[in-house]
Amino acid sequence: MKTWNRSIIWIIFLVVALGQLFPLIWLIDFSFMKSSDFFTSAVLKWPSSPEWTNYINAWIDGKFPEYLFNSVLVSATTIILTVIFSLLLGYAFTRMQWKLRGLFFSIILLGIMIPIHATLIPNFAIFKALHLTDTYLGLIIPYTAVSVPLGTFILSGFLRSLPKEIEESAVIDGCSIYQIVFRIIMPLTMPALVTIAVTTFISCWNEFIMAATFLSKDSLKTLPFSVMNFAGQYSSDYGSQFAVMVLTSIPAIVIYALFNEQITKGITAGAVKG
Amino acid sequence: MQKVLSNKLAIFLFVFPGILLFALTFLAPIVLSFYYSFTDTLGPGTKLTMIGFENYKQLLLHDSRFWRSLLNAVLLGLGFIILQHPVCILFAILLDRLGGKAEKIFRTIFFIPCVISVVVISRMWLNLMDPSFGMVNKLLDIVGLSSWKHAWLGDTSTALISLLFILIWSGFGWGLLFYYSGIKGIPEDLYEAAHLDGASGIKLHWKITVPLLSPVIAVQVTLAMITALKQMETVFLTTNGGPGDATQFLGVYLYNKAFSASQYGYANAIAILFIIVCLVATYLSNRFIPSENA
Repeated sequence: MKTWNRSIIWIIFLVVALGQLFPLIWLIDFSFMKSSDFFTSAVLKWPSSPEWTNYINAWIDGKFPEYLFNSVLVSATTIILTVIFSLLLGYAFTRMQWKLRGLFFSIILLGIMIPIHATLIPNFAIFKALHLTDTYLGLIIPYTAVSVPLGTFILSGFLRSLPKEIEESAVIDGCSIYQIVFRIIMPLTMPALVTIAVTTFISCWNEFIMAATFLSKDSLKTLPFSVMNFAGQYSSDYGSQFAVMVLTSIPAIVIYALFNEQITKGITAGAVKG
Repeated sequence: MQKVLSNKLAIFLFVFPGILLFALTFLAPIVLSFYYSFTDTLGPGTKLTMIGFENYKQLLLHDSRFWRSLLNAVLLGLGFIILQHPVCILFAILLDRLGGKAEKIFRTIFFIPCVISVVVISRMWLNLMDPSFGMVNKLLDIVGLSSWKHAWLGDTSTALISLLFILIWSGFGWGLLFYYSGIKGIPEDLYEAAHLDGASGIKLHWKITVPLLSPVIAVQVTLAMITALKQMETVFLTTNGGPGDATQFLGVYLYNKAFSASQYGYANAIAILFIIVCLVATYLSNRFIPSENA
């Protein structure tokens, strides 16, 4: 009975795992094809000779290295800022004593509910007036602003589950508030901070609509634009389009593979405590 | 202790930058939007006349596209709640029981689509569902269902359900991971006690796991509704609201009104209503879904 149940679970899992992976396998497979090979009746096909030119097109005309650099710069800055802001706000909202903290906490949490698409149009006008469009800051500021509410929410939940005794003894030892936050609270809340960093990475690495609205200068564009440029420029060259999609997905998958354990642990810690 | 924690300068330094950022990217645009929503302007900086509640009147009373967008969001949200979430819960339970290396491998595989960018997902599925060379139609040929072959995203009757399918495919891992971590937080001895009382299998999980997961479920259901309302990028990059208004969503609608149709005032009125709808939806689902930590 037990082993029978187990094999059923295995079969269901294998089917769904195949369903999750198959589109990606198809994408990789056909990225090595000539465009004329796309109209085959086979679902997957071993390419007679892999079309490496697809990848050369993707690398050079997709401006892969330039966009990758921009994506790394914007994401890294956003992650650092989001983590710091969430830590400071979360601490001030849960531990520190001041009058308006309940009100300000609710206001920040509204940021989780407010759709960014609704604020996109007026934001474009504001950023233009402040000369922030077509700058790195023009992406970093809204990305951070969008990530901070959720980050603050996760960190506050986590902080509430931490005992206050450690901070109390730190105060007795003569620590200042800044030492408490950066020397004691920061290491203690590491699981929550990792969760915040990961969710921020996934959302801003892949973000498209704000970048499409706030950027027009080619030299600042992020990775998703490689795909968009290709959809226009190489609209009938399916092989190259597929190659650029595979290429731009690799960095996020590599990061995921490297931090897989921390990502799951971080989300688990954040979700349970939050 | 008290003195350190009510350090006014520290509180200011901790809170002010965050609030400033929030004010710049959320409050200022909303105020500006509110102002523009009472005008007939074509774009910021162009000539404008105040027209009072005209935009809102038009939207609420005569704009079927607006209502269609809301209906689509509700349908999509129900799709998430009815189709995606029960499966996520079931898989989370099974995954937890699997144990060992297999548990880790499957967990990793299920999450892979979540790290791929929405642009790649959208373009990929556009190709997968392509009527002439897409894999979906080829698979139907192979299993002998050629009569089902279809321009999945191009047909009004299947566009929304195809979109739901794409979003479930790409969001499955997130839902699964949240429920899975909820289950990991349930102490093992509860199960042992239930076992001693004679509960097992499905009954055990129905009586213990699901009720204990209810706070997670409450949060996830709220998030599902909000995700459906906020749906924009995938639609924008696949169907752009079409065919007809079959996959029209508020985000796409107002974006096109502002940047393609140059009805800037009108677009801002949509934006204001959009925000109100999201806040009301959050309030309602927090209110009516029983949650232990609320």
